[in-house]
Amino acid sequence: MTIQLENIALISNDLPWLHNLREQGLLSYKKYGIPTAKTENWKYTKPNRFFEQNFTPVSRGNNVLGNSSVTVPFDCYYVYFENGVFNPHLSNLPQGIEIIPIIEAIMFQPNIRDKIGALVDVDKYPFAALNTAYLNEGIYLHVDSNVDISKPIVFIYHTTALNNAELYNVRNLIVIDSNSSIKIAELYCYDGVIKSSYVINVVNEMFIANDAKLYHYKVQNDAFKAGHITFNAAKVCRNGKYNSFCLQKGADMARHETKVFLSEEGAIADINGAYLMNGWATIDITTDIEHQKPHTISSQLIKGVVGGQAKGVFQGKIHIAPNAIKTEGYQLHKAMLLSDDAEIDVKPELEIYADDVKCSHGSACGELDQDQLFYMRSRGIKEDVAKQLLIDAYLNDVIAKVDDEKIQDWIKLSLKDDLLK
Amino acid sequence: MTTPLLEIEDLYAKVDGKEIIKGFNLTINYGEIHAIMGPNGAGKSTLSNVLCGKPGYEATSGTVRFKGKDLFSLSPEERACEGLFLSMQYPVEIPGVPVTSFLKHSVNAIRSYRGEPELDTMEFIKMVRAEGKKLGLDAEMIKRAVNVGFSGGEKKRLETLQMSVLKPVLAILDEADSGLDIDALRVVAEGVNSLHTKQNGLLIITHYQRLLNYIVPDFVHVYADGKIVKTGSKELALELEEKGYAEFVKEKE
Repeated sequence: MTIQLENIALISNDLPWLHNLREQGLLSYKKYGIPTAKTENWKYTKPNRFFEQNFTPVSRGNNVLGNSSVTVPFDCYYVYFENGVFNPHLSNLPQGIEIIPIIEAIMFQPNIRDKIGALVDVDKYPFAALNTAYLNEGIYLHVDSNVDISKPIVFIYHTTALNNAELYNVRNLIVIDSNSSIKIAELYCYDGVIKSSYVINVVNEMFIANDAKLYHYKVQNDAFKAGHITFNAAKVCRNGKYNSFCLQKGADMARHETKVFLSEEGAIADINGAYLMNGWATIDITTDIEHQKPHTISSQLIKGVVGGQAKGVFQGKIHIAPNAIKTEGYQLHKAMLLSDDAEIDVKPELEIYADDVKCSHGSACGELDQDQLFYMRSRGIKEDVAKQLLIDAYLNDVIAKVDDEKIQDWIKLSLKDDLLK
Repeated sequence: MTTPLLEIEDLYAKVDGKEIIKGFNLTINYGEIHAIMGPNGAGKSTLSNVLCGKPGYEATSGTVRFKGKDLFSLSPEERACEGLFLSMQYPVEIPGVPVTSFLKHSVNAIRSYRGEPELDTMEFIKMVRAEGKKLGLDAEMIKRAVNVGFSGGEKKRLETLQMSVLKPVLAILDEADSGLDIDALRVVAEGVNSLHTKQNGLLIITHYQRLLNYIVPDFVHVYADGKIVKTGSKELALELEEKGYAEFVKEKE
């Protein structure tokens, strides 16, 4: 491997607290390195194969801000990242919500420091450790109590990858105070002509207070040579809710990992997602829900469509603590294989230490129904169009979990292209 | 018109490596209605699947010309666009795909193949509603997923609706009467009859004479062991109804 670490000095500064945090991240990263097939939690995705080339972490110092304007087809606020760097000038931020560069928040709001890293065990998450070592870019988003903003805040992660093999680390801290509700949608995209490889490594730490709700949507459409690694860690307090949906369809190697701490009674996690790809890509959705208290609820529905020689990975863990009675945890994964060489690896894990809980999990793999396909073709519908209709139909129920119609439409639109080419 | 609508010459076909069709000959001219009758297991559905290009149904020798074109050089969707239509014995359920979306893709695929402009949603819905009404279809039905939760009668009506919307040149009705009560049978038959003109043809595949009371064929063929063993007029169907297929099946043994 092969992430060049020496230029960490570039982003060091005088704040000892920050220096120590980065140092811890770096030590952990050096100790464990890039995961391989021998790392239990990464054994299917084997990211070491992707990291055979050298990647160089970049930050504001050696990056050029562009002025491209990727948009989404619905009314929203924008938080714009270009090559992993937050660009307030391209952004259009909502009133009543604080959004500032994370480094500014660390320097001038010492009270937020105890939240940074609180949900991320750097010894268990090597890429989060790397992200911590380079903590410099990203934003701090803070919503006061009793604020309900229905217009989505869209994070655009636009990559132009001017030089080959760049690594972008982004660290966001999202704090939603009690009885507030916001919607965040992320779009990972790239400049259409990009040929170089890059890695985007994002950690979102999210604190959802009592009765607060965070709706977190994502479309991952990174370039076909890219590596995409995100770690979403959410702590949900009493009667709070974390609801997420992720569509993974881009990149060569992609991991979307979610860790939720249902830390007080009545906390809810609703985690859904779809992945679809062909070619040689490996796409991974990993979840880990910790029911720490009684009366907490989690449900997960993940569906995948895999063609070519691609590989889909789903690892889902539900952990129920000894005292967490009357909890409910549901998990269902379904995948459809479009070719003989496509592969699906699934690892469900239920760790239940309490009595009187309701839990279920299931996983199923199938193929496109040849009778359905022939029926459509016999009515004049071209084979590729028929396949697309069947795939859309297959993913319908999981997309219906997105309870914002405009975002649903946007996700459906994002499904359309290139899978069957 | 001089070129026949469909010409099948000495057709042999296999399913799962087993020869099912063995030297089949049939010519259908424009304006004609043909009925193929035969016992269970004679290979009637195999014939319709071979003609429509279902994967797994492989013609091993012989030729089939549809409007003078080599049928086997066309993909299933091209055959449909050229005007071949199979009303299936067991219409397939497609969860998650509404009838409207399915039919709209179908209609527009065929229109664009023929160089006609595609219909917009309003035009399309209007047309489907009008055709559906004739067949006594509930307007709510076209919003449901294709065939999912449909009764046997509803499935056959939907097949007939597709036929009336797609306006095929040659429609093959494979056991179109199975699962239908008398009223539904009449509606389906009336729908089919109203579509029949001098410019198209019909091939009806059935066990029973019953359907032929409603859709009157010009020719009746007896199909046994992979080929036509007897051809006659509509009276042949009545004869078969009376005597059964025993003499034809026995003949082969």
